Amino acid sequence: MRERVLVAMSGGVDSSVAAAVLARQGYDVIGATMKLFCYGDDVPDRPCCSLDSIDDARRVCESIGVPHYVLNLESAFSRDVIGNFVSEYAAGRTPIPCVRCNTFTKFRDLLRKADALEARYIATGHYARSVSGELHRGSDRAKDQSYFLWGIDRDVVRRMLLPVGELTKDETRQLARELGLRVVSEKPESQDICFVPDGDHAKVIARHLGADAPALSPGDFVTSDGSVVGRHDGYARFTIGQRRGLPGGHREAMFVIAIRPESREVVIGPRQELLGLGVIAREINWLVDEAPDVGARVQLQVRHRSAPAPAEVLRLDGGEMELALDEAVAAITPGQSLVIYDGERVLGGGIIESAVGARGASRTALPVIAA
Amino acid sequence: MPTPIYLDHAATTPVRREVLEAMEPYFGSRFGNPSSMHRWGREARAALDAARERLAHCLGAESDELCFTSGGTEGDNFAILATFHARRKEGRTAVVTSPIEHKAILGAVHQAAREGAEERILDVHRDGLVDRDSFDANVRDDTAVCSVMWVNNEIGVVQPIEELAGRAKERGAVFHTDAVQAFGKLPVDARKVPFDILTISGHKIGAPKGIGAIYIRRGTPFEPLLHGGAQNRGVRPGTENVAAAVGLATAAELAVEEREAEVRRLGELRDRLEAALLERIPDAVVNGKGAPRAPHVLNISVPGTDSESLLLALDLAGVACSSGSACQSGSVDPSHVLTAIGVPRELAVAAVRMSLGPLTTPEGVERVASLFPALIAKARRLSAVAG
Repeated sequence: MRERVLVAMSGGVDSSVAAAVLARQGYDVIGATMKLFCYGDDVPDRPCCSLDSIDDARRVCESIGVPHYVLNLESAFSRDVIGNFVSEYAAGRTPIPCVRCNTFTKFRDLLRKADALEARYIATGHYARSVSGELHRGSDRAKDQSYFLWGIDRDVVRRMLLPVGELTKDETRQLARELGLRVVSEKPESQDICFVPDGDHAKVIARHLGADAPALSPGDFVTSDGSVVGRHDGYARFTIGQRRGLPGGHREAMFVIAIRPESREVVIGPRQELLGLGVIAREINWLVDEAPDVGARVQLQVRHRSAPAPAEVLRLDGGEMELALDEAVAAITPGQSLVIYDGERVLGGGIIESAVGARGASRTALPVIAA
Repeated sequence: MPTPIYLDHAATTPVRREVLEAMEPYFGSRFGNPSSMHRWGREARAALDAARERLAHCLGAESDELCFTSGGTEGDNFAILATFHARRKEGRTAVVTSPIEHKAILGAVHQAAREGAEERILDVHRDGLVDRDSFDANVRDDTAVCSVMWVNNEIGVVQPIEELAGRAKERGAVFHTDAVQAFGKLPVDARKVPFDILTISGHKIGAPKGIGAIYIRRGTPFEPLLHGGAQNRGVRPGTENVAAAVGLATAAELAVEEREAEVRRLGELRDRLEAALLERIPDAVVNGKGAPRAPHVLNISVPGTDSESLLLALDLAGVACSSGSACQSGSVDPSHVLTAIGVPRELAVAAVRMSLGPLTTPEGVERVASLFPALIAKARRLSAVAG
């Protein structure tokens, strides 16, 4: 009896190759594209329900000879991912909806569909590896997407098949060509959040909270000493470390260093004010049996593409944890993910609540928010 | 895997062998354009005229009252928009329909509203029947057109078209009925039932996809939607699909000829399937039960399940059903019909439509009657685990 696997297919090259590889390996593959949202009439120049992606996934399934279904997860996605996205911005944080989608939509709701279809495995096109029940980084370090997967249920890891996690992006594309997946082999990488057309996240917030929501209403730019240095058009348009859209006339380059939703202030400051020596995170989830204890030495990442930073666990209680960094890290951003690694292994992660002890000077970068 | 079972005849049916044979010459030697004056043209014209006449005969109509279309959606759009365009000049600007119509009607009515019509949606009862008081209150002397589908495609409910058409006409409104699911199941006779416009579709009765027809009673006001040629007497210009028209006429004749026997056969099979499922799943709910129903549709909801998972599980087990309503993307959405008749959400999201037809056999029905409850039991176990 061939093992059945439900493959989550976005219509992109990675998940298409995942499906084709598994089919070639002899799995009983069922392709599924999740219908997660509908633009409706808001975006007239795009077809409803990311139809192009669905069509591409269907054509890939036709070409490899496996069934394809469109699964409607719209209401759950709206609640768990879009709703949270909007409320996080309203709270002055910068969410990563892809993390929530992995945690709640792909590896919980879609897994239930897999159960209903008696599929033992669930597969995606993520650049990460499932190794003896543990989650590891993708082999292609430049593409590694393990950062976005820390929130899934530990027991699910055993049921995950991640065929492209062993490959580099180039190898994936090459394989797509060899497998004859012409529909997707040359498709450009998607950088946008799927439900944010044209990258304009303020529009999504406006649709849910109204264009006059506090998060989109004018407020003050202030510096950390409290001086008002300008006006902005809504704190939800800003994220920690951002330089674009800040008032000029400062001696040094200025960055967003904090967002204060209660007073609608966006705090700006020079590079050294962007640095943190510690981080507090909540919603902690572990992917290994033996979670690090207080005093343990770990490596952490506060964003997708950054080098792992050595740190020590200072405090662990309930769902919250505090870590001290050996060296300062820039732009530790509330709402983004803290992911704890041990080399290749993903130990766990959480949602960043706050940075601790800002000082020093370092580089900066905007958070990367697509996976 | 055992032979797959097709229980989705309300979606489409296979082209009948007789139909295919009747069409074949018009793809080959008799390929002419019916508008040409030469012998090829005459040959095609003769076939087209004969097809129109044969189809008219099936509907109790005159052949000049028939116009071939591309199918149900075009017919429905014509019925609403062509009449609204003609009648708004006389101050009749209201367009009335029921909330359980096919999306082709609802979409056309919304379009009319965008063009200035007043959109009025009738109340429907829990069993799916249109409320008479609501009908009387909404269909008035300001009404351009009123459209109520004869047999609902999702739940099979049969509306009292003769009565509704009569009431609409008393008020001077054009009355249209979408008879896509009714034709071949109910007697459709323009001499007996006073509808003004009626839509049928070929592929529901064994003709190919892409062909349908509208009946337009003589004297009914309308403005064509397409412009260009004199084909179809200017009602619907464009070179006629001769082969498909011949196919539709052939399929319609067979449908009328076999109607009584087939209705009896399908009704018995449907009732047997329904009884077996209700016996094995006592809390299952048959949607539209209580109203007169066409013999080929069974729409059933099982509490604690969801249509999407059931349809997938059925498909993987080789049984083709539907939920009656599909988004453009192919995903399963809660049905607007079930929502409109007040089916609670937890039942509306659990609906499965089984529709019977020429491919349905007693053995197939038996197999589904035993397989479906097993899938239900599994779906319920899973949803209990998921909480």
